[in-house]
Amino acid sequence: MNRAPWIAFGVSLALAASWLGLVLVPQLQLGSEPMVVIEATGQDYPLARSGGAQAGAAVYRACGCAVCHTQQVRPAAEGGDLARGWGRRRTVARDYLRDEPPMLGSLRLGPDLANLGARETNNVTLLFKLYDARIATPGSTMPRFLWLFTKRRVPAGFAQSPEALPLPPAFAPPPGWEVVPTDDARALVAYLRSLQSAALFYEVFPPVKPRPATNGVAPVSATNTPPTR
Amino acid sequence: MASSNPPTLPPRATPDELDAAGRGPVLTLLVATVGWLVGAGALALIAAIKLHAPGFLADSAWLACGRVLPATANAFVFGFATQAGLGLALWLISRLGGAPLVGRGGIIVATCFWNLGLAIGVGGILLGDSTGLEGMELPRYATPILAVAGGVIVAWTAANFLARREPIRHVAEWYLLGALAAFPWLVATATLLTGFLPLRGVVAVATGAWFLQNLFTFWLGFLALAALFHFLPQLTGAPVPSRSLAVFGFWSLALCGGAAGLNRFHGGPFPAWMISVGVVASVLMLVPTLAVARNLFPLLRRHDRTRPPAPALTFFRASLAAFTLAGILGAANAGDAARHVTQFTLVTPALDQLTLWGFVGLAMLGVVHDLVPRLVGRAWPSARLARWHQRLAVAGVALLVVSLGVGGVVQGLALNQSALPFFAIVQRTVPFLGMATLANLILLTANCLLAVNLLRLLAQLGRERWAQFAKTWLTPLPEEVDP
Repeated sequence: MNRAPWIAFGVSLALAASWLGLVLVPQLQLGSEPMVVIEATGQDYPLARSGGAQAGAAVYRACGCAVCHTQQVRPAAEGGDLARGWGRRRTVARDYLRDEPPMLGSLRLGPDLANLGARETNNVTLLFKLYDARIATPGSTMPRFLWLFTKRRVPAGFAQSPEALPLPPAFAPPPGWEVVPTDDARALVAYLRSLQSAALFYEVFPPVKPRPATNGVAPVSATNTPPTR
Repeated sequence: MASSNPPTLPPRATPDELDAAGRGPVLTLLVATVGWLVGAGALALIAAIKLHAPGFLADSAWLACGRVLPATANAFVFGFATQAGLGLALWLISRLGGAPLVGRGGIIVATCFWNLGLAIGVGGILLGDSTGLEGMELPRYATPILAVAGGVIVAWTAANFLARREPIRHVAEWYLLGALAAFPWLVATATLLTGFLPLRGVVAVATGAWFLQNLFTFWLGFLALAALFHFLPQLTGAPVPSRSLAVFGFWSLALCGGAAGLNRFHGGPFPAWMISVGVVASVLMLVPTLAVARNLFPLLRRHDRTRPPAPALTFFRASLAAFTLAGILGAANAGDAARHVTQFTLVTPALDQLTLWGFVGLAMLGVVHDLVPRLVGRAWPSARLARWHQRLAVAGVALLVVSLGVGGVVQGLALNQSALPFFAIVQRTVPFLGMATLANLILLTANCLLAVNLLRLLAQLGRERWAQFAKTWLTPLPEEVDP
């Protein structure tokens, strides 16, 4: 008996089954998931990103930040994410409707960034991190993203550009030089500050019990308030 | 379709005829394989160093860690493992089917385009054009080239399968056929959904996970199992103990293997059922794993001691061990209790490497090791280099998996102590990342030894061909000689 057609057919069938179940069915369930309207403001959640933040998402993708940073918060029962202050609730599929593509990541050599915009609101702090993470955290293993910055000479008789990074002396360039973030760096920072998945709606209600705001996360108010931006 | 009626089939060709017909395309694929192996090894070493020494090569955007790691993975999977697997498939189909390869020129041209497309794609990732989807990073301007070139090679492989002169007898042929049948599904999904029909939100991530899982199981896994089911019996001189168990292992793997992908997003932003399917399938993978292991491990014990030990056997033995271990650890890592610790830690890359490098990579190294001397009709120029290549490759893979795995558990236990600052956790992983760098250095060294041996072999061959050519060229033809 010639088994070849049966083997080819059977394997195709097995693949078709897993394709239908794990590609098509998710697409039918989630592919047309609507945004949720936040009652207090009438805005759609997830909030639309500014043009700069959208450009920053492309920089985030191109630099491969997702290799070391996740953007997903697990429920309290499945790990210490909430206890660590990386969010005030788990993340759900609806949080990523504006992400093309969502960069969830699968390895945490750096902290989770799903709610970075809620913890860190200072552009300069984030630019310092990108320029040299050792400024804030001596011994950090985060790489430097030097191509996001221009090191240039300050013309004689002129003051430093107002955009120049106010680097601490140990990291500052030699006198007469300044370090200026490029458009890409500013876009990336705008994107990082747009990262928030804190809004509460029925899939993620009720939230976890309020925590003291020691981790830089605003205390939970159990309403449909939009994330502060 | 070949007839099931043996008398109508032409007689099978001799092994020498088969090797002569297969030499061109298979050798082209295997030489390209070794090239990508060394390239991927160099990239892997750069990435491994950068993970614990952030100042290393920090000035160039194209060597950013986040670009080099996906570039490494794609070079390894599509440059090394896939091309070695295709070479194996062509050679094995011709050898077991008894028909000389057809479509040789087409296969060689398509192989060139495959390598061109992959070079463009990996270069694109280094230039920052990755799609951002884990497992499907190759940019959209490279994937159509790969889809067409790969499609041509697979179509010719299938045509050779149909042209065979003997009915299917071997377990290895089932796995080859399964891999060939799976290729269009995988390529179509990856090519369309990354660039041309982008999916919204997390569905894109789910599709990436589906692709990665099925690529590992139906493409790389099936090709590597074909190698194990062919070479282990051949090199040990003992038959596969149970054919029924082999049938059971094959079909249970085909059923369970495709669904385990979303296990990697345990606790992630997906509906619970999707994760649950992944967990259940991961645990069920124990069934095919144990069925295959039960069938192949006895071969190692029953090894005929009177025969000289085949050098490539080391690779296949280690590959079988890695396959079994990967199945068991994958199932163990599926449960909540384990995931609570291991999720988002170095355990994930450790298990990926155990499958990719341990199971698939070592099997494919065995294929290169065994096939190249057969095809050119002479032994490796240096048996010592070949021996060191084996030892270092197996040791490198073992060190890589153990250091990442143990480091991941340490990291995961620390991540769950919420009072511990994040930086302290990172510091705990640094020694393990350093060991992974050492492992990558060992692997690169091993693969350079293989490349040197291959280059010497090709140089010998080239010199001989040239001498022969020069001799015939300088010798006058009989009619030109004055009587």
